[in-house]
Amino acid sequence: MADRSASRWLGYSAALLLVSATVGTLKLLPHLADATAALILLLAVFLSAWLWESGPGVFAALLATLSFNFFFIPPLHTFTIDDPRNIVALIVFLASGLVIGRLSAVSRHRLRLVEAERRDFAALTQLSQAFLSDTTRESLLGIACDRLRQALVCEEVAILLADGGDGLSVVAATPRAQVEQERAEAAYRRRSSVASPSELGGTDIYLPILVGLERAGALVARGLRTSERMAEGCAMLLGLALERERFVSRARAAEETKTSEEMKSTLLAALAHDLKTPVATARAALENWEAVAGESDKSRLAREQLEALTRRIEELMEVVRLDSGTALPRRERVSCSEIVEASISRFGESLGSHNLSLELPTREVTIEVDPMQVAEALGHGLENAARYSPAGSEIQVSVEEQKDSVVLRVADAGRGIPLPDRERVLERFVRLPNSAGVPGSGLGLAIARSLVELNGGRIRIGDSSRGGALFEIAFPRGNP
Amino acid sequence: MSRILVADDEAGIRTVLRDALEQAGHEVETAVDGEEAIGLLERQSFDFIITDLAMPNSDGLELVKAVRESSSIPILVLTVRQEERQKVRLLDAGADDYMTKPFGVGELLARTRALLRRTNPGAGQPAHFQWADIEVEIETRRVRRGGHEVHLTPTEYLILTAFLKKPGAVWTHRQLLSAVWGTSAEVSNDTLRVHVASLRRKLEADPNRPRWIRTEPWVGYRFSPEE
Repeated sequence: MADRSASRWLGYSAALLLVSATVGTLKLLPHLADATAALILLLAVFLSAWLWESGPGVFAALLATLSFNFFFIPPLHTFTIDDPRNIVALIVFLASGLVIGRLSAVSRHRLRLVEAERRDFAALTQLSQAFLSDTTRESLLGIACDRLRQALVCEEVAILLADGGDGLSVVAATPRAQVEQERAEAAYRRRSSVASPSELGGTDIYLPILVGLERAGALVARGLRTSERMAEGCAMLLGLALERERFVSRARAAEETKTSEEMKSTLLAALAHDLKTPVATARAALENWEAVAGESDKSRLAREQLEALTRRIEELMEVVRLDSGTALPRRERVSCSEIVEASISRFGESLGSHNLSLELPTREVTIEVDPMQVAEALGHGLENAARYSPAGSEIQVSVEEQKDSVVLRVADAGRGIPLPDRERVLERFVRLPNSAGVPGSGLGLAIARSLVELNGGRIRIGDSSRGGALFEIAFPRGNP
Repeated sequence: MSRILVADDEAGIRTVLRDALEQAGHEVETAVDGEEAIGLLERQSFDFIITDLAMPNSDGLELVKAVRESSSIPILVLTVRQEERQKVRLLDAGADDYMTKPFGVGELLARTRALLRRTNPGAGQPAHFQWADIEVEIETRRVRRGGHEVHLTPTEYLILTAFLKKPGAVWTHRQLLSAVWGTSAEVSNDTLRVHVASLRRKLEADPNRPRWIRTEPWVGYRFSPEE
């Protein structure tokens, strides 16, 4: 404020000097007509108003009128006027002086505003271009303060961002910037800016930084010379830049995960291929040998063991895939009958000596899951039922539609699983004492559980009505 | 005797396939990848191709596409379990059949025989089919099982005759839908499944574990009257 009043007094003094100098000069030229003197004085009024604006302009107009009367209207060197026509001339002179002064001051003022706006606009454009070129948070914040200081024409800039908890912390600032933490937090909490005259000249302003509808932090500009509106514009731009940076980094992270998942999945497919090829070769070689030398107990044993090895490899690969996070379900709406059919077709061989019965609903029941993963899970249930129930006994596969869910069941007539062990058998490598002598790795049911849960379903082991075990998986019905 | 081209990057697989096929009286040439196979196909003529799906440089799918540009020679592709989703793509690209590793040699030879027979069908379509206890008369549209007449709906009969045209062949859902209803019909896989299930109830001893009309999970069906 001090410098503003000083500059005003300077304006009045300058106007006084200009008008006095003009009068002095005119007095040195005695042959000048009064009308010419009046015009030259008006020019001085115009200049005063243009250079020092409103107040000094009016002051110059009054001073010029008095001087014109005193020095140029007879009787000279008095403020009295003899000729009434000169009174009219003097009034016209005063009026012209005031109007010219006013117009000149207003146009000068407007011009200055337009210039300031043009400058602000250019600065904002430059700032937004600069923000757009930064793709990481570090580089954005690293030079944001200097850019903002230039754009806002201020002494100090600081950026505070929410620090996870309730408070704000300074993440970037110009050297030696003094920030009043409470005022910054007040602006952040109230979502409105706080401004006050600055000890550095100009204004100190604390503004909230909004990212979309959320608050991200506060922007502090001290010794601000541009308008508050400009500061608000800059805060908004900073919010947008931060939001953009957040999206860019998210997109980048997603891209990286995708690439690494694709790579893992390719590697796993290659690994599966590499593990199975030797087994496939051994099995075919064995069969070729059998074709020449005839089948024997020993060759049959070798073949069975190779088949068991294939199954172990498949289970291990499934576990590795589940653990690597590449077993992403590809969900589609699929009929439960199709899942049951696929599962029986794939695991049917292990059911060879059992009596298989199906209980399917008459109308199509669909669920939204990855059909291959769910058929695989159901297959582990079938395999388990076949292993732990006597040959020739019945295994029933059923699909039941309930109010909010669809339940797929495999019920056998074996010994069943004791109540305390029913949770435990769904864990990896858990085999019950009564399973000695039955082939298996203790992985099947654990794989089934992971696959079912991956597809948004639940798995449960219970009692079947035939006294054996019940393997049950349920999925939400959803909207068909 | 037929000339068979085997493409696989694994030396072990090439050896066992050569042994099995030569024992069955065929003549075998081998290639380590799709590129070498294409080179051999340009210089020599073959009756049948067996190729691995996953091979370095040029894989089985590329080989199938390249061969189908100029030839209808039957192709059997060897896959592993993790390549499930590739099977329909292979069949759509023109492969005739696939087998999952580890495969049984007996099954491989049976598929080879079926595919070779299909490409040399002798004197047109037979008028009478018989396997196990089932008989089909094309002219009278009569189907018998165990000596008793079986009544098929027109759709079931169309499905059965489509199957009979290519014994042992795998059918994708789409192939079977267009063979029965035509390419423009909008019939869903679910509808097809209902008709096939009904056909199985009429022809199979245990429709829950069908022997003649088998389900190929996520691909379609296989009609295998030989077993």
